[in-house]
Amino acid sequence: MRNLSRDEAAWRFLGYTFVLLATLLMVVPIYWIVVASTLPEQAFLSAGTDIQLLPGSNFLANLDALQSRESVDFIQSIGNSVFIAVVYTLLSLVLCSMGGFAFAKYEFKFKEPIFYSILATLTLPIQLLVIPLFLMISQMGLSNSYWAIILPWAANPLGIFLMRQNMRQIPDALLESARIDGATEFQLYYRIALPTMKSSLAALAIVLFLFQWNLFLYPLVVLEQGKYTIPVAINELVGAQRVYYDQIMVAAALSIIPLFLVFLFLQRHFVSGILAGSVKE
Amino acid sequence: MSTKYSDPVRDKFDAVRERAGEAVAPVWESVIDAVRPLRQRQIRRTRAAADKLPFSVGVPYLFLAPFFVLFSAFLLFPVLYTVFLSFHTYEGISTTTLFWIDVGPIQYRLTRMAQLEFVGLQNYQRLLGDTLFQNALANTTFILLVQVPLMIVLGLALALALNASWMRFKGLFRTTIALPVAANLVAYATVFLLLLQDNGLVNSVFQMVGLPTIPWLSGGTALLPGPLKSVLGTGFWPRVSLVGAVTWRWTGYNMIILLAGLQSVPKQLYEAAEIDGASRWEKFRYVTLPQLRPVLLFVVVTSTIGTFRLFSEPLIISQGGAPLSATRTLVVYIYNIAFQQFQLGYASAMTVVLVGIVALLSIAQLRIGSDSDA
Repeated sequence: MRNLSRDEAAWRFLGYTFVLLATLLMVVPIYWIVVASTLPEQAFLSAGTDIQLLPGSNFLANLDALQSRESVDFIQSIGNSVFIAVVYTLLSLVLCSMGGFAFAKYEFKFKEPIFYSILATLTLPIQLLVIPLFLMISQMGLSNSYWAIILPWAANPLGIFLMRQNMRQIPDALLESARIDGATEFQLYYRIALPTMKSSLAALAIVLFLFQWNLFLYPLVVLEQGKYTIPVAINELVGAQRVYYDQIMVAAALSIIPLFLVFLFLQRHFVSGILAGSVKE
Repeated sequence: MSTKYSDPVRDKFDAVRERAGEAVAPVWESVIDAVRPLRQRQIRRTRAAADKLPFSVGVPYLFLAPFFVLFSAFLLFPVLYTVFLSFHTYEGISTTTLFWIDVGPIQYRLTRMAQLEFVGLQNYQRLLGDTLFQNALANTTFILLVQVPLMIVLGLALALALNASWMRFKGLFRTTIALPVAANLVAYATVFLLLLQDNGLVNSVFQMVGLPTIPWLSGGTALLPGPLKSVLGTGFWPRVSLVGAVTWRWTGYNMIILLAGLQSVPKQLYEAAEIDGASRWEKFRYVTLPQLRPVLLFVVVTSTIGTFRLFSEPLIISQGGAPLSATRTLVVYIYNIAFQQFQLGYASAMTVVLVGIVALLSIAQLRIGSDSDA
């Protein structure tokens, strides 16, 4: 250990304290969800001072209670959510990367107005499009299908914005030399733009997955039993007379896993890829 | 007449002619002559603009087409429809229910609708005198002014600490601090509802270490200094809880974005500053901040937009008995008008105003933020 100046040592101590404190604050509620999912309901509800902070052995019982419900099959809803989020993310990545490529590397008529009209929709609270969307989806005969959830935000404004920002970094000379070698425009996108944009695509994938994962009101309105996504399924446990907290805890604990995995796999890219707008204008 | 490029019009028609034989030739010649000047001008313009990149005019449109088709159908159309509705009254007749969801905090009922009736600016006039709307706007503004700066300062401080060369276990810290984003929205709001109840975990811990318990959600005026009781009122603690919950969820996410920004600051800049004898603060002020500006701007704008979209958290947390006047955000209020009172015209007018406010704010932030100084 080198001898640090007192000032330097103080800074380090401060830094570690701060980071540890933040980590603790972030982890405690999540830890508590996991613990509560293994306890009988009365053990964690109004605990007073004899609070339980260690996992119990009630997890399977709680899960049983959750799975024995008539109205909702939670394990299936995890599957639904994962399927919808994965398909949505892939579709949206294709749309946003192609559109972003056009905005970043081409000049065309009405480019600016089109781009700004897309950007303007970023400010829309999505809950408020539920009415017109619901009416449209019913008209199309798509209600209670996965496509009803996947299609509406597949053209994601934030996605195309991020892609445009990042694709500007592709050097024009590279595209030009590929053109001279006889590459078609689509090959430029597929062979050059996509491979160089791996990190950005991974970062965007996280953003899109998160977005879809947390959609709540719209699926609630469109989907019927059997097609429920996780938030809708959890919402079923909040009854008018009684809230089934033990089952909510199990559901919450289980619902963290898929997203955590996505995060774990894509995180490395996320840090280098999300640099939206850090390109010097 | 530039003959630098082959004439695409002629090429196209040549191909057609080859296929069709000679029979069509004379007709085509005149067509070509008519079309060529138009096409040439368009091609020249486009090429000049694109640094003389030779691609045909249609390519970018083809790339954009899939996105744009879905965008028009599912975003543009509903938006225009909302604007259209905002000049009408369009109300449910509640005696005939077509469709009804009623679970927990969400009540959604679709009733048969009355005739669409044009009323011009009447909805907007009503909005000006609507005290509930003003209350919702005030709550949203409060969250914007308190929660967004708090979250960004915390996120930046954490990012700086995790970016330091001496920090160990970076990956572990980064992942755990960003973990809250992985919790499902509805689940996390419900869990906070549980944690913050009068006899919930937070107050239990407070009791254990000898602190007084706080009415986080039930909205008492306990613990507020006497003179402030009437000023802050019963909504104070629920507001604190809402700000706390949203901050808990999004700080890590923003930290990761800021961290990415920090890592892209060229090391040479710091080395140069060291040589010039810059202090820690000067390095932060004159190197880090200017370099981080675009990323900070991105975080500020997206957080602002996020604030105006707050919906699930206040809705579920208000189940804890908090006075609605303290936690009602704009989207929650619009949702009430649209889905519980079924005044779609009025709700649409409020949506238009809300979007206008957010757009103005975002543009202002972008303007202020992109003044170049470095």
